[in-house]
Amino acid sequence: MTAHNDGTGNDSTGNNGAGNDGTRSDGSGREGRAPRPGHGPADRPAGPSGPAAWLRDLLMGARFTATGGREGLVRAALTALAVGLGVAVLAIAASVPQLLDARDQRTTSRSVFPAGADIPPDDQPRKGAGTLLYQHAATDFRDRLVDGAILRPEGPGAPVPPGVAALPGPGEMVVSPALGRLLASDEGKLLSERFRHRTVGTIGDAGLIGPDELFFYLGSDRITQGGGVVRIDGFGSSQDGPVDPRIVVLAAMVCVVLLLPVAVLIGTAVRFGGEGRERRLAALRLVGAGIASTRRIAAGEALCGALLGLLAGAGIFLFVRGFAPHVVIRDVGVFPADVTPAPVLAALIAVAVPALAVAVTLFALRGVAAEPLGAVREAPVRRRRLWWRLLIPAAGLALLAPGVLQTRGALVFGPAFAGSGQTVLAAAGAALLLTGIATLLPWLVQVCVARLRGGPPAWQLATRRLQANSGPAARAVAGITVAVAGAVAVQMMVSGMRGGYEGPPGTVASHSQLQAQYRPGTPDELRAHTEAFRATPGVRDAVAFVEQYAESGKGPGRKVTTVHVAGCATLSRLAKLDSCRDGDVFVAQEKGGDVNTAKWFPPGTELVMDGFEEAKAQGVPAYRWTVPRTARVVETRTAPAGEDTYGILATPSAIDARAIPDARTTVLARVDPADRDDAIERFRNTAAAIDPGMRVWRRGGVVKEDHFAAVEEGLTTGGVGVLVLVGLSLLVATVEQLRGRRRALSVLVACGTNRSTLAWSVLWQTAIPVVLGLALATAGGLGLGRLMLALVGEPVRDWSAFVPLVGAGAAVIVAVTLLALPTLWRLTRPESMRTE
Amino acid sequence: MTPAPSGSLLAATGLRKAYGPTTALDGADFSVHPGEIVAVMGPSGSGKSTLLHCLAGIIRPDAGSVRYGARKLSELSDAERSALRRGEFGFVFQFGQLVPELTCVENVALPLRLGGVRRKEAEQQAMRWLERLEVAGVRGKRPGEVSGGQGQRVAVARALVTTPRVIFADEPTGALDSLNGERVMELLTEAARDTRAAVVLVTHEARVAAYSDREVVVRDGRARDMAGARL
Repeated sequence: MTAHNDGTGNDSTGNNGAGNDGTRSDGSGREGRAPRPGHGPADRPAGPSGPAAWLRDLLMGARFTATGGREGLVRAALTALAVGLGVAVLAIAASVPQLLDARDQRTTSRSVFPAGADIPPDDQPRKGAGTLLYQHAATDFRDRLVDGAILRPEGPGAPVPPGVAALPGPGEMVVSPALGRLLASDEGKLLSERFRHRTVGTIGDAGLIGPDELFFYLGSDRITQGGGVVRIDGFGSSQDGPVDPRIVVLAAMVCVVLLLPVAVLIGTAVRFGGEGRERRLAALRLVGAGIASTRRIAAGEALCGALLGLLAGAGIFLFVRGFAPHVVIRDVGVFPADVTPAPVLAALIAVAVPALAVAVTLFALRGVAAEPLGAVREAPVRRRRLWWRLLIPAAGLALLAPGVLQTRGALVFGPAFAGSGQTVLAAAGAALLLTGIATLLPWLVQVCVARLRGGPPAWQLATRRLQANSGPAARAVAGITVAVAGAVAVQMMVSGMRGGYEGPPGTVASHSQLQAQYRPGTPDELRAHTEAFRATPGVRDAVAFVEQYAESGKGPGRKVTTVHVAGCATLSRLAKLDSCRDGDVFVAQEKGGDVNTAKWFPPGTELVMDGFEEAKAQGVPAYRWTVPRTARVVETRTAPAGEDTYGILATPSAIDARAIPDARTTVLARVDPADRDDAIERFRNTAAAIDPGMRVWRRGGVVKEDHFAAVEEGLTTGGVGVLVLVGLSLLVATVEQLRGRRRALSVLVACGTNRSTLAWSVLWQTAIPVVLGLALATAGGLGLGRLMLALVGEPVRDWSAFVPLVGAGAAVIVAVTLLALPTLWRLTRPESMRTE
Repeated sequence: MTPAPSGSLLAATGLRKAYGPTTALDGADFSVHPGEIVAVMGPSGSGKSTLLHCLAGIIRPDAGSVRYGARKLSELSDAERSALRRGEFGFVFQFGQLVPELTCVENVALPLRLGGVRRKEAEQQAMRWLERLEVAGVRGKRPGEVSGGQGQRVAVARALVTTPRVIFADEPTGALDSLNGERVMELLTEAARDTRAAVVLVTHEARVAAYSDREVVVRDGRARDMAGARL
């Protein structure tokens, strides 16, 4: 073979044929041969060197991607698709900070005071031409929040909320487009009865958190400062609240769970067509390309695939972004414009993905040797080493152990945890443990499949294929393993940690009990309101009373109870009264209950009923009242809301309810379970007619802590997304593998092999590594979940977190096999045997 | 179109097959008798392999018919043709025919196992054929670990293990040196004669065709019997 410099030549290492680049002894036959006149090294034109050689080799590699004919193009398309899917997920993940920031900005821009702040009137702006009275008002419709505010301008310069052109006047309202559509629809007919105001405008995007948010501003000339109505001179106030460090750990784990499989996917995708690439490179070696040169060419191919993947990823991302309004976060969809990757993260993706592609390709080229005929002899199957695979999870354990020991030895998750680097350590430890699971899988698959023997032909074909080379399958499954392990751990954490936040679920199974609260009313008003609620169609029963907390004593002996004020008719619904007259007082004791009201608040006890911070700041004195000597102890009775109401029950003449600071009227009601959904909305309509600021909620449901709910939503959405992604990557990898074995498969069919046999072999080939991966993921996930709960000092409340995820993983196996069948059918057509 | 000769085991008449604008077969006739070895010769691209694939029921011709005994292949379902290929026919190709993940003995046993024979028994029969073809020593190796000649003998063993009535061999020595090629042909034809199997041998090498009883030349998609010329 005569050496030449045609772009694939021997001098691509930049040595100009000096022969010390490893190409002289590669079997090309040039070694020791005297150069022919005019063709000696001294006569040859010098090849490019340094950066020029790099550029030439990279470009040549890129050209191989595009010039491999139909086969090459299909392979490039598959690589681009798989890398693109990964890039799209990364881009979406990189958009989350921006998205949250944008939502925060939107929330902030329309808020009037920091969340939870209780601003005394003296600290509020003084009345003027540029002030506005503001009352937060929210209602629910079919379990969806309909949020809004009541506004009363106090002058021509009153501030206008963002997204609103002009303040609505009395009897007018402006609504979000989604609320406008709902009110105009048949579905929203019941809701429209609650909004009697005339719609005079639409709230623009700037004033909404999401495109489907139900939001309104009502104009009023009746609200006055105090009792939830505040004076403001502008909109915009930060709503940031402290986030539980446990939530931070959870969120970090969710990120790891979602992003590690993506890295695995990209790593798998850039190895598509690896065998063909190795053959090409071997051929290049034979014509004199140096080792470094072939690696650069391989890098060029990988780079090109990665760059195509970046482009495809950008396209997929833009396509998926269009569905942002359907992604509901805490009841509200997302504006597509808010889903934009953070510039730094986008740049990181653009650099990291090609770099990962090159690194993985070069790593895969280890041990590839050129054969005289240009083929590549695969090195004998090497036994995978276990020791370094164990080091990674061991490092993860080492990072988690101090936190666990600290938690066990000291208090539970003290403030030190939040402020210190423990959160970072916990997240890093979890990431290393999950990574360790991914790296352990190839070893586990190899060890297990090596022991598989016998079985029918389909099983034999699959197991032998895995024994010969389990790497691609294990790599493809590594993603699913990390995703499931992480999701199991996070699910365990969520259920374990949430246990401390929620009351006992399902105390009222029917969910048909309602509770509403609003300003205190006079006895006559109470009676009228109760009648109005009872007269509402679908409402079976309703009681209304004024209530406030009361305490007696100070320090450790301090006891707290509730004073309920209502007429005899209502009180007899709350307790078993043998007789009742206006002026009577009762001490209601729950039979068998934990609270001994009769003992703690005997007749003669002085009770103190104090207002909230705003009332205190205004100097409103606490209301002091003594339980009269004539008070009788009675037994409670189950109220319409499904719970016993214990404490002090007083008739209106016995206590001056209007003098109790911050007392509130509570309505307990029960609706017809058969007409539940509509009855609830009619009840809300009645409530809104009494007081637009009245909030009605259903009792007996599980109340989720917001942050946990958000993490759980993220996990569910992300988990489904990752499983779909992993399924797609498995599918692409399976199709790629089938394409690589097309000839062998079609020969098998030509020899009479039933396609069902081949289909089963594909199923086993997918199922064996996935089952092993899921087993490892379950063990690893449960272990990690247990560790993380130990870290935060919570017990394990749910050991069955893995069941749905493992089920989903099994569904992925079946789906991948079914979706791969058309390709198998097509590739095993006898025409595939033609080589011309 | 000429009628199929009487007594033929496999006969094709008027075969036409085109791949897009390219006509591979244009009214080809062919027949082979039990125990007969027929070489199909012709230049590259003349349609030899297409003829073999049509005869074996691997692909359906656009026109014409193929009869195997009393059965017309075009009237058989895909499953029936698969069963026919599995039980009655044997195949040897130039390369890429062995399943790379299976050992040599497993490759040879595979057709028997697909036919329902138990693994142990199938591998015992496979071993007998490997011994006969002088490659028993590579039984535990994978195709990638044996030489081209050994691999081709393993392929011949696989073609013969079901005792087929027709063996289709498409350039069986194309990737071998002359010495190995001749040994493979000797073993193949010897075994075929012992079992009275007919052999359809596609080749463009005269020295390989010399192992046949009769030669058919395919040119421009038509098959011409050269028996007279040879005699």
